[in-house]
Amino acid sequence: MDEGGRFRPPEREEQERWMERALGTAKEALENGEVPVGCLMVYHNEILGLGRNEVNETKNATRHAEMVAIDQVLEWCRQKDKDREEVFEHTVLYVTVEPCIMCAAALRLLNIPLVVYGCQNERFGGCGSVLNIPADDLKHSGAPFQSIGGYRAEEAVELLKTFYKAENPNAPKSKVRKKQ
Amino acid sequence: MAGVGDAGGLRRQRLLTHYDKSRNSYVEGIMEPQCKKRKTKAISTFTWELMPVLSDEELCEVELLEAYAAPIINKRQTSCLIKQLACIYPLNSLPHIKRVRTCRDKNTNHSLEIIICLLRDLNCTDVPNGEISLSDLFPDGKDIGIGLGEPFQVMIPACQPLTRPQFEAASQHWPTTFHENKQVTNALRGHLFNTEERAKVQTFMEKAIKAAKLGKEIGMEPVGAVVVNPATDEVIAVGHDCRNGPNPLLHAVMVCIDLVAYGQGGGAFNHDRYPNCHFKSEASFSGDHAFNTGKPLHPSEDHSPTGVPVNGLPYICTGYDLYVSREPCVMCAMALVHSRIRTVFYATSSPDGALGTKYKIHTKKDLNHHYDVFKGLLEGECQFFS
Repeated sequence: MDEGGRFRPPEREEQERWMERALGTAKEALENGEVPVGCLMVYHNEILGLGRNEVNETKNATRHAEMVAIDQVLEWCRQKDKDREEVFEHTVLYVTVEPCIMCAAALRLLNIPLVVYGCQNERFGGCGSVLNIPADDLKHSGAPFQSIGGYRAEEAVELLKTFYKAENPNAPKSKVRKKQ
Repeated sequence: MAGVGDAGGLRRQRLLTHYDKSRNSYVEGIMEPQCKKRKTKAISTFTWELMPVLSDEELCEVELLEAYAAPIINKRQTSCLIKQLACIYPLNSLPHIKRVRTCRDKNTNHSLEIIICLLRDLNCTDVPNGEISLSDLFPDGKDIGIGLGEPFQVMIPACQPLTRPQFEAASQHWPTTFHENKQVTNALRGHLFNTEERAKVQTFMEKAIKAAKLGKEIGMEPVGAVVVNPATDEVIAVGHDCRNGPNPLLHAVMVCIDLVAYGQGGGAFNHDRYPNCHFKSEASFSGDHAFNTGKPLHPSEDHSPTGVPVNGLPYICTGYDLYVSREPCVMCAMALVHSRIRTVFYATSSPDGALGTKYKIHTKKDLNHHYDVFKGLLEGECQFFS
């Protein structure tokens, strides 16, 4: 997918193949009682990062699947002594749910060229739903990136629905939920 | 409409030019005259001014709509007129508008005026050149017109004012209802924090600046942050920016959020190599410390202790305040939404800042948590950093 140092987006079939894997990760997360969001970071046909939400176990609300996967890529770069900037500039993120505003901003800071995602994230989405971080004019926050949504969106939504039927025991009580 | 800029407006203008200094122009336009006594007192002690970073809705100019009003000839018919007009022209979209006002011109023989309808309620063909008579407004020839004088055009506020400056601007056109948020009014006047409180918030920002300097000494971006429990004034976490280290996403705010997590028995990063990033451990907490006593700027927000689980520790950063030397980026601002922070104080603005400059993430309606933001705290001291 990479010729002469320039990033070329993968073919649609390849994108679908990786999304299949990301969905598999999300399902595993569900089986382990975690928010079923799965993501992969793929560099030259190799999975460098594979993430799922770790908010509850770390008590850190920023430990979304993408942030976890980013740390794995950073660790890979350290171990292989690779230039992390070069690696991120050629890495595609496959994630079952549209990245939130925070994650979209993080991906932009790292100059990720492409994000392929499943369903929309109506509450926090940073790739068009609430804000459009990859496309906005932010001169000091990395490069704009491309985002493609809608891959296996129904399946991604189904997983989330299944999870949220059982409530997150660590979350604060929501006023809205109380009324229902 | 000429002549609206009355003496009050002029006086305000003069005070504004006196006031502006380093303000962003938004705030300038609506700033109220400050109490002089207070100002000289403040200036003798502090070199900075805390400014609330309000939502666009709170800062915008009052939008106006064209409407028709008419004098009420016989005062005793007022309530009857209100009822009848409510049937013919209900003004359902303008619940904040008071239908009747007292006449401002003391030289007329009527004392009350009433809104009849909006210009947009009429068919354009009814209004050939803006000149309009009662028979145009009541084409069915209803006898309602009897108690009214010649109609005239007025501008009325399209929305309910949210702040006192908006209320004052709106009232120059037509009376409206207004549920004043005294906290916001005081914040806009610079009166929200008294001398003691200003001294306190300054010490926390000084800690953040100290952390920024220590980070700079080891080659980091000079940004420092401190998380405080305002109920007890305990410092929960102190961190500096670590983005020039192995993880480029470890901005000062992200470091602090993780340090708070460590204090609660969690945490995701290894901060061992940064001795100047530290947290207060779980053992040193005592009981219900996290219950928030300070008044938030926007009290509808849920800063209540419902987020405190049984073990007495808060849910992530619920109820806590953050002091950071420069305006957070989008990632950090959203991380603070996820972490349920209560208030953010920052010193200087950033070019891509997300709490006032490029976005106002903390006021974004679609998001599930909002927090108060104040800028300008020790701005001068932090300027040389950026």
